[in-house]
Amino acid sequence: MTIRLQIVIGIMLAIAVVSIINMIRKKKFDLRYGLSWLCMLVVALVLDIFPGIVFGLAHLIGIDLPSNMVFFVGLIFAILLIFTTAVSVSRMSDRMKKLTQELALVQKELDELKKHQEDK
Amino acid sequence: MKKLVIIPAFNEQASIQKTVQDIKDNAPDFDYIVINDCSTDDTLKVCEENGINVLKLPVNLGIGGAVQSGYLYAYRNGYDVAVQFDGDGQHSAKYLGEMAKTLTDNEADMVIGSRFITNEGFQSSFMRRVGIKHFNVLIKMLTGATVTDPTSGMRMVNRDIIKLFSLDYPKDYPEPESVVQIISMGKKVVDVPVIMNERTEGVSSISPGKSIYYMIKVTIAMIIARIRK
Repeated sequence: MTIRLQIVIGIMLAIAVVSIINMIRKKKFDLRYGLSWLCMLVVALVLDIFPGIVFGLAHLIGIDLPSNMVFFVGLIFAILLIFTTAVSVSRMSDRMKKLTQELALVQKELDELKKHQEDK
Repeated sequence: MKKLVIIPAFNEQASIQKTVQDIKDNAPDFDYIVINDCSTDDTLKVCEENGINVLKLPVNLGIGGAVQSGYLYAYRNGYDVAVQFDGDGQHSAKYLGEMAKTLTDNEADMVIGSRFITNEGFQSSFMRRVGIKHFNVLIKMLTGATVTDPTSGMRMVNRDIIKLFSLDYPKDYPEPESVVQIISMGKKVVDVPVIMNERTEGVSSISPGKSIYYMIKVTIAMIIARIRK
């Protein structure tokens, strides 16, 4: 890996980290959900600065080409993030369903109460 | 005994009034509630102008969530019996009395209005019947029970099941799955013959393109419902 590539990747990662922190700062992104992204970016940044880690790890688990290990780990990370998002969407839709139902029932009671008052 | 008809309605402006009138005329000892699942047509307007008892969902939940709102309403308001009834004119209220009688006489937990006992009236298309047969066999394999019309949307349940469904009901294509769900819990499901009409208005929630997805999804859901504890 050339120094030039290291710098380009480093800058890209730094921009990503800064914009995510900025979004969290402006409350456009919840830290709870942003944390895993930040961690991922920081790990990538560390690997970018110290590529020796990648070479060592690739050798350790028996991957010939260190770049393949980067792709492999990256893919696993991405799949995990997507999966946890899917799980949270599913939970969210459950909660939304409950809220919708409660809201409709409360609305109904309110309407009946109002009608009852008017009739008096 | 308090009895409630739950009528889920999504874009049924043309038929909802007829459906409610049918219940008032032919099942006078039943209360009813229309669940307006955020219709995009004038269903809500028709309901409000005609003084129809309606529950207004603020966002669209789909058939499962809409029906479950009805069960929640039934549970909170102390109903002993609740029955699902389509808003599109497919079902006839004249069978409700008999279904209620079957429910109490047989001490059943659920009574399903079935098209396939006497095989009279609207029998659905050939492909649909193949699908229904598949669910039939699957239920038999999973639970040992015979349910002649597992996709029927005309189902009456007692207070136990009202409570159960108000807490836990499948979101989409709920009928076959929820039958397996309650039979697995040792509940008793009985069917009675009814005659259904071809829908006069509106479209089925299962379009031809979705039917493959429907079959796969419901099959898996039924198997999972069986192994759930």
